[in-house]
Amino acid sequence: MNRYVFYNFIMVSFINLLLFVPHILIEARFSGAVSSMIVGTVIGTILVYMYTSAMARYPGKGLPEILKLHFPQWLVAICMFCSAIMWWFGTTIVVVAYAILINRFFNPDANSIIILTMLILACGYAATRSTLSVMFVIEIGLIVNAPVIIFILFKAVRSTQLNFDAIRVVANYVTAMPTLSAVAAASFIFTGYINLSLFNRLLPPNFRFKFRWIYPVFGITIMLITFFVPIGFHGTEAVNQYTYIWSVTADSLIMQYGFIERVLFLFLIVFLNLTLVYTMCGWHQAMEFIKCCFRNYKPEIDSPKTPVANYVIIGIFASLTMLYLLLTNEKMNMFITSYWLVVRMFVEFVIVLTVFLLSRRRPKTT
Amino acid sequence: MNERLRLLFAEAVDIKFEHLQNSEMSIEIAYIAPLCEENKINDFIIVPFTKDAYPFQSQLDTNPEYRQVEDIAKWQELLLRGHVLIQANQIIYAFDASRIISIENPQTQVESAIQGPQLALSEDLNISLNLIRSMYPSPDLSVEEHTIGSLSKTPILALFDQRRVDPSVLDTVRDKLTSINVEMLHAAGELEKLLVGKRKHLFPTILITERPDRISKAISKGKVVILLKGNMFAIILPATFFDFMHAMEDDYDAYWMTRFLIFLRYASIVLTITLPALYISVVSYNPEVFRVQLAFSIAGSRSGVPYPSFVEVFIMLFMIETLIEASIRLPRYIGSTATTVGGLILGQAAQQAGLVSSIMIIVTSVVAISNFVIPVNSLSFAIRFLKYPLIAVSIFFGITGVAVGLFVYITYLCNLRSFGKPYMRIFGKLRPLEGDVGQVNVE
Repeated sequence: MNRYVFYNFIMVSFINLLLFVPHILIEARFSGAVSSMIVGTVIGTILVYMYTSAMARYPGKGLPEILKLHFPQWLVAICMFCSAIMWWFGTTIVVVAYAILINRFFNPDANSIIILTMLILACGYAATRSTLSVMFVIEIGLIVNAPVIIFILFKAVRSTQLNFDAIRVVANYVTAMPTLSAVAAASFIFTGYINLSLFNRLLPPNFRFKFRWIYPVFGITIMLITFFVPIGFHGTEAVNQYTYIWSVTADSLIMQYGFIERVLFLFLIVFLNLTLVYTMCGWHQAMEFIKCCFRNYKPEIDSPKTPVANYVIIGIFASLTMLYLLLTNEKMNMFITSYWLVVRMFVEFVIVLTVFLLSRRRPKTT
Repeated sequence: MNERLRLLFAEAVDIKFEHLQNSEMSIEIAYIAPLCEENKINDFIIVPFTKDAYPFQSQLDTNPEYRQVEDIAKWQELLLRGHVLIQANQIIYAFDASRIISIENPQTQVESAIQGPQLALSEDLNISLNLIRSMYPSPDLSVEEHTIGSLSKTPILALFDQRRVDPSVLDTVRDKLTSINVEMLHAAGELEKLLVGKRKHLFPTILITERPDRISKAISKGKVVILLKGNMFAIILPATFFDFMHAMEDDYDAYWMTRFLIFLRYASIVLTITLPALYISVVSYNPEVFRVQLAFSIAGSRSGVPYPSFVEVFIMLFMIETLIEASIRLPRYIGSTATTVGGLILGQAAQQAGLVSSIMIIVTSVVAISNFVIPVNSLSFAIRFLKYPLIAVSIFFGITGVAVGLFVYITYLCNLRSFGKPYMRIFGKLRPLEGDVGQVNVE
């Protein structure tokens, strides 16, 4: 059942296009983006290997259950509450950015608040389902959308418009020192493993993580494409002028024989689906983590009836998301995102190291 | 005995109370004439008794067909089930002479297959069991009898392979069957509703079929089959979404052809759900999505239509839905007339009158035709409904709304459970394999 781990990894590495990761990297293209990508790859790969080997020792247990084995309840509650906020924030940024994106490209007349309401209603409904259902939705969402995304990426790479000189020029800046925000952005592409914090509950006993080399290979491929293809299309200087760099890049492509001529629309629809799946996944994890803060909570992966607590927590998430849209604008959203990426990287360091050390220590105690 | 029975029953001319006497003994018999086979009564009771070649008392004692009845409370029920009650020497015997009117070996009509078995289940439980037993000759086939309905007392049989059946499913089925509390039960669909338990559901989570080959295959996969007396249809549970998309012929025909057919079915499901909504969103929101020539030809065909696209969609969908409904309910001979009149003449005329665009006519017919491709009727009905919420969303949000709506549908489907088993799960086996996800909580 390794595919269920892959799905999470692939989903997160695709969603980086919407989290302003290419934008942050491209902004630093002359000042350390390339070397940051190398550092980010190393960090991401090490974290993937550490976390998977640590989680393999706790079959059927999520992060809260593992922490509860070793720490008092109040400490676990605080940790889980913080990580719930982290997860909620990461997905909220995406869904808010996407609501604005739809407003820019699809329905320019519609109010982005109304579009966001529709999106969060759908995601909220999906996030309140049981963990098993959420996993199945992720599976279907990826199987339907990933081929189209790969098709678009492939089409972009094979395009004759791609200027390899510009790519070579930027790649030669590899000697510049890496920067923190660029490293954080690059390592985000590898961060799908962190979803195991919850979905490890689903994995059966005697589960073994196989084909772990695929994670870095896949991550590097996606990272190179996200960073270099826009540069190849727009040139080394002009590439920095766009906020939604990948939407514009997709708009540079044309499907000669299709019903839909502009790849942009295909790109937008597919990434809308991916955003919904990602938001559902993030909110569901945040919801489960918040539920863990209560003392009488019992982890359940497929409850026949949806608990009322789910609706309450997701309702709070949804209203906070609306508030976020009202209080911020695109520029602020991007600014916050680059900080969130840095914070996320350090939080992940802490989580992975803690779980890794705990998993090494356990054989002695038992 | 007869005096007491006269008190127990309402005044009815079809209840026969007879008093017979021969040289040796006298007996009383009682039966409800229309429910019984007169030949059988003659052959087994009246003729041997009056001929008196063999002592009747010893016949009653030796032949197991005459069952001794000790409980007076059972008299009524036995009579109503077509038994004959015999009183000889103060002992009451019951003899089964019931006559069941049913279609003899009917052909499959609802789910037809070109080259599969053509026999359908019968309305008589024994004939159905005969068909299933001969198709599944295994000593592990277990048959349980239950009775449902306080008035109708419908006998139902639960069949399963005792080695392969999923114990958790079997337990829930038994629980549900014993807890059902209704007065009347006549149709498999009624039982389906009672078993599912939810008052409002959209998708069928239980498969209703008339094909013995589907049933025997389901039993071999460890599912539970329920047969109803007086009903040609059996219930198979648990069922997944993919079972409903599976025609039995897929197992009989060539591999690549059937894969293609399966692909065709899923493609037509997508078309029948999304096409009207996409039409609205392309015409009214995002004409720039399509290439210029196509966008122009759509706009051109709509140039004579005086109202917004969703009104047009509502008009055409109303027409096609009423047409489908009419041709189902009408007698077979008039049905074809209705389709001709509606489909050919109205469609053409509506377009020429400028009420709808010609593209909309194509959309409508694609929607209707691709809906008929779904092999199992109950799913086809559920799918038929699905396009309306999407139309409503697309009126307000365009293509974005359609994509979000499809996401919600997929979530709903993934959230459904059929007797604890996931309803929609790609690449998942119904019996979870060793090392499948979500097993930790099972034990």
